[in-house]
Amino acid sequence: MKNTVKIQRAIKGLTQESLANKIGVSRQTINSIEKNRYIPSTILALKISKEFDKNVNEIFELEEED
Amino acid sequence: MNKIQQDLRLLPRHFKKVAFGIMLLSALLVVLSILQVLTIDKEIVKTIAKSGFLISLLLFVITRNKIEDELTLRIRLKAFAASFIYGVGIVIVEPFINLLFGDSFLSDKGVTELLISMFFFYFIMVFLMKRNR
Repeated sequence: MKNTVKIQRAIKGLTQESLANKIGVSRQTINSIEKNRYIPSTILALKISKEFDKNVNEIFELEEED
Repeated sequence: MNKIQQDLRLLPRHFKKVAFGIMLLSALLVVLSILQVLTIDKEIVKTIAKSGFLISLLLFVITRNKIEDELTLRIRLKAFAASFIYGVGIVIVEPFINLLFGDSFLSDKGVTELLISMFFFYFIMVFLMKRNR
């Protein structure tokens, strides 16, 4: 699953740390999500999309192998 | 997801200090026994020290860290699974190693030693997974 968290974060001008604080996770978790090393839970995906005022599908997208 | 599914019900952070205290007391008991300050039977000291060490390791494992989120929960669960598989593997492999190298190689390994090695394996797994997250 690919995501546009890094892009959305850049648009909003947020650091990994500030986004992490807003949604209640660690900075390392945001970093792992951005690098596609970790797929977040539904709750976390919804929190991230809410933070960026977008639908989940606009941020997280399934790939061929998923 | 409800709370029961979501949480591992970890102990509050101050239990780390309790764990550290128990570990220090266990070590102190062993040292005092070796220096013959305490005149308690060595087997009793050994049993108490092993239990103390085991309790402190358990407390370290089930105590909340400074940062806890769903990624650290996942890391914890993977490390638990890995250390369980390690423990089973050791129990299966140990008799064959003893057959090959003689009883002296892995002899005198009781349940406590196995559990302690499983805890260390858990800590190593957590460390590696946290480093590579």
